[in-house]
Amino acid sequence: MTLQGNGGSGGEFGLSRRPRQIAGHTVTFDNEGFLWTSDDWNEDVAAALAAEAGLTELDDTRWRVLRFLRQFYRDNGRAPLNRQLAVGTGMPLLRLESLFPGGIKQGARRLAGLPNPKTCM
Amino acid sequence: MIKIRLTLNGVPHQVVADPKSSLLDLLRDTYRLTGAKQSCDKKGQCGACTVIVNGKAVRSCTTRVGRLDGADIITVEGLGTPTNPHLIQHAFVLAGAVQCGFCIPGMIIAAKALLDANPDPSTDEIRHALRHNLCRCTGYVKIVDAVKLAGRFLRGELEPAALYPDPDGPKIGVSHPRPSAMIKACGVAEFTADIALPGALEIAAVHSPHAHALIKRIDAAAAAAMPGVAGVMTAADIKGSNRHNYMVTDRPVLCEDRVRYVGDPVALVAAETREQALAAAAAVKVDYEPLPEVHTPQEAMADDAPQIHAEWSNVCLTQPQIKGDAAKAFAEAAETVEAHFVTQCNHQASLEPEVSLAYFEGEGDDAQLVVVGRSINIHKHLAMLQEATGWEDMRYEEAFVGGQFGIKIDVTSEGLTAAAAIHFRRPVRYIPSLVESMYLSPKRHPFDMKLKLAADARGKLTAMGWDILVDNGAYNSMGNVVMLRAIQMLSGSYDIPNVDAMARLIYTNNPWGAAARGAGPPQTHYALESAIDLLARKMGIDPLEFRRRNSLLPGQTKSTGAVVEEWPFPELCDALKPAYDRAVREARAARESGNGAKRRGVGVGAGAFGIGGPGDQSMVAVELDPDDGVTVYGAVADPGEGNDSMLSQLAADALDLPLHKVRLQTRSTDNTTANGPAAASRHTYMSGGSMLDAIAQLKAAMAAAGGSTYAALTAAGVPTRYMGTKKMVVGALDPQTGQGPSFESQVHALQLAEVEVDTETGEVKVLKMTCAVDAGRVIHPLNFSGQIEGGMDMGVGLALRERYIAGQTKDWVTFKYPSTRTAFEMDTIVRETPRPRGSNGSVGVGEMTLVATAPAVLNAIDDAVGVRIYDLPATPEKVKEALAALVSER
Repeated sequence: MTLQGNGGSGGEFGLSRRPRQIAGHTVTFDNEGFLWTSDDWNEDVAAALAAEAGLTELDDTRWRVLRFLRQFYRDNGRAPLNRQLAVGTGMPLLRLESLFPGGIKQGARRLAGLPNPKTCM
Repeated sequence: MIKIRLTLNGVPHQVVADPKSSLLDLLRDTYRLTGAKQSCDKKGQCGACTVIVNGKAVRSCTTRVGRLDGADIITVEGLGTPTNPHLIQHAFVLAGAVQCGFCIPGMIIAAKALLDANPDPSTDEIRHALRHNLCRCTGYVKIVDAVKLAGRFLRGELEPAALYPDPDGPKIGVSHPRPSAMIKACGVAEFTADIALPGALEIAAVHSPHAHALIKRIDAAAAAAMPGVAGVMTAADIKGSNRHNYMVTDRPVLCEDRVRYVGDPVALVAAETREQALAAAAAVKVDYEPLPEVHTPQEAMADDAPQIHAEWSNVCLTQPQIKGDAAKAFAEAAETVEAHFVTQCNHQASLEPEVSLAYFEGEGDDAQLVVVGRSINIHKHLAMLQEATGWEDMRYEEAFVGGQFGIKIDVTSEGLTAAAAIHFRRPVRYIPSLVESMYLSPKRHPFDMKLKLAADARGKLTAMGWDILVDNGAYNSMGNVVMLRAIQMLSGSYDIPNVDAMARLIYTNNPWGAAARGAGPPQTHYALESAIDLLARKMGIDPLEFRRRNSLLPGQTKSTGAVVEEWPFPELCDALKPAYDRAVREARAARESGNGAKRRGVGVGAGAFGIGGPGDQSMVAVELDPDDGVTVYGAVADPGEGNDSMLSQLAADALDLPLHKVRLQTRSTDNTTANGPAAASRHTYMSGGSMLDAIAQLKAAMAAAGGSTYAALTAAGVPTRYMGTKKMVVGALDPQTGQGPSFESQVHALQLAEVEVDTETGEVKVLKMTCAVDAGRVIHPLNFSGQIEGGMDMGVGLALRERYIAGQTKDWVTFKYPSTRTAFEMDTIVRETPRPRGSNGSVGVGEMTLVATAPAVLNAIDDAVGVRIYDLPATPEKVKEALAALVSER
């Protein structure tokens, strides 16, 4: 089922909602594959999203990135800039970009359950 | 050049300057005084630059320096400072006259000149003295109040200290001075153009004169060779997507191969001075190949219409709304009315131009691009600018903002500014002219509405049918939201069990639409409330009684099918009744006594305005500081509504803190939560609510730590910072039926217009507007009534005067800006039904105030002279024409 968004954090930016089963849960995503609600994230969901993206395993390095993103979002209510991510994880940007299909913005942030960058959240 | 001697704020100076230059430039550029503002392209139309020269108030933008030798000049900075303000500055703060504050220094100076000559002026004398000073926020009510209060202070009848509320006293329902009010009153609050940016390049843009054309060639060689020019940029010079992606990637920062409306930006010039940039922009040659244009939704929907965007159909969105069985209800109706209503394209007309600046902070790879501007949604706009320019390490800072009223829901000038800073690797500043600001910014969508209403023999509404065409203009921005919000509030205040509506959003080659105070519902309410009046009069039922009889009630459903929990509309009808009866009596008496060509009339209009929207989310953090005060972190823009008051008073109340111990961090993307826009009247409800959630967590932590101090929490190892959230129910309208979740809470209003129509000229004069309103508990009474008054003034402009015509509307005179000459008496009747889900029982009120105004005025015109205007604005020409048609009919 696809619902036409109208208002709120996603709908007003032209995104539509798509509930689906993942890692044993019914979770609502937007039509670009980002979680509609960040609270729906858990590590099982992240692992399943990673597998769908072609990552057979979320290794410690990738988990470090995802956990940093989650913690930064919890603390600050926004996603970090790339340089903050690089400092926070101790990894250079090029490496960070290469770790996730889709890079940082469309890859790591999506797997970490952060809102779609199109939204203002 | 000429050397002149002058005294500025009591200090003698000598200065060498161009005798033809303006005093405004001398004050701002040479003396770095920011109190005098520039809005009207130095045409002397706005008064924001008013200063006193030799005892008289003058507009400094039209005062030439060459005539100032020996002059004694007083600016707002010469009156007082935030720590030692002048009595007039105290009065403006205490009267609640300071909203966005952009016009206030000029107002205060004009008031001083008046009060120096006339210490006890009447309302008419004040309005006359301030006739050159424009304000978009206040409707001039509290400006006049402030001047009268200042007179009392100056005459020694009263001291400011007697009026300042106890900062340690109650926080809710008390008009504590806005945190930002005094710095605005003293002219030291920095709006974007006030920020010093040494070495900055100045920008001018090249705009399309065509509404639809291909760009065949851009020849910038001559422009690039002109004095002071750093370079000329076209779309090819922008490294990112070159698209402002609010929800659709249809709007370029600079047009690539096609222009789609008059004013579309095609190229930009950066130069050492603004004059050099403007001269070079005029020298850029663009070869266009004109294309067929479409200027109405009907034209754009024709089979042979040109497609405005190759990637998207001209029909951007279609949304029906079906409830019950409208066809059956119409067939069985005792009475019906049917009419066709049209609203105009309009400019939000904030007084401050669409100024922005950008610069790099830091060096080399660590340099961060800082963009400063008027955004009401800094995190969304940051993301848009990152994508458009291809530069990720960026920060957006909201400066003080000179009004917005929806205009800054989307990026306007910042795309050009950010792209230029990246391209030239220099600080850049863009101070667009008024014409450019109008080109770059979105407009209120024109609506074309066919509406049919039905009622049974008891005067109960039974059905409504709508066919709505929304002119989206050349780009979508957030047109979907505007149209869908209109659908979500389509039944207004009423119980209408059967609905058959269709709404379509259509691209045209007109200026692009986006948010404008109310954003959709003002247009549909104009039609609905006009038709309600037509039906009531046709059935011989008093219009106020008809509205009360048809009020929705708790437990009933709106046109979306959503059940409402609270609906204090009948109570508002009762609250307005005495004023309504008095107005009807007076109008009748005036008609009976005869008044030449003048006829008086009374009209009402109503509205129920949803707060936020389904799926809305907010996050705000609160941190306990070492001195046991708190800092609130959240992007809660305050372009003048008083969100600083709202946050600080709610927080101080919840934590029992003095107001000075609540600090706000709301303006930078680097230290705020991404929290959504200052739109949809949502910040009191959403951001206030999420802040109170954070405070509840903090208080729980204090209880756990056994103490409420910073020391107690840190000693207990308990965090001092908490993230609060507020989320609305998630959902959307069904695309086939328009049924679905609605708003958690509404603000309700019922307005009474009293007008006088000159039957010879068609001129309509609003004598008085009265607003009965219920927005839950009132946090700050003066901020609250200030919103009501400003909204009604704007609503009257929408009803009678204002219209944006691309290429013709070029300044505040052609726009027909409201002034003290068009000002009128206003009254506000407040009911406070607590909203269970509101922030301390409160919801927002900033938009509702406009929704009911235009139909109330149009209904009053009909009451006065028996003619109905179906297309806004109701100009004297239209009224006169309708009167002539009425006479010929008879």
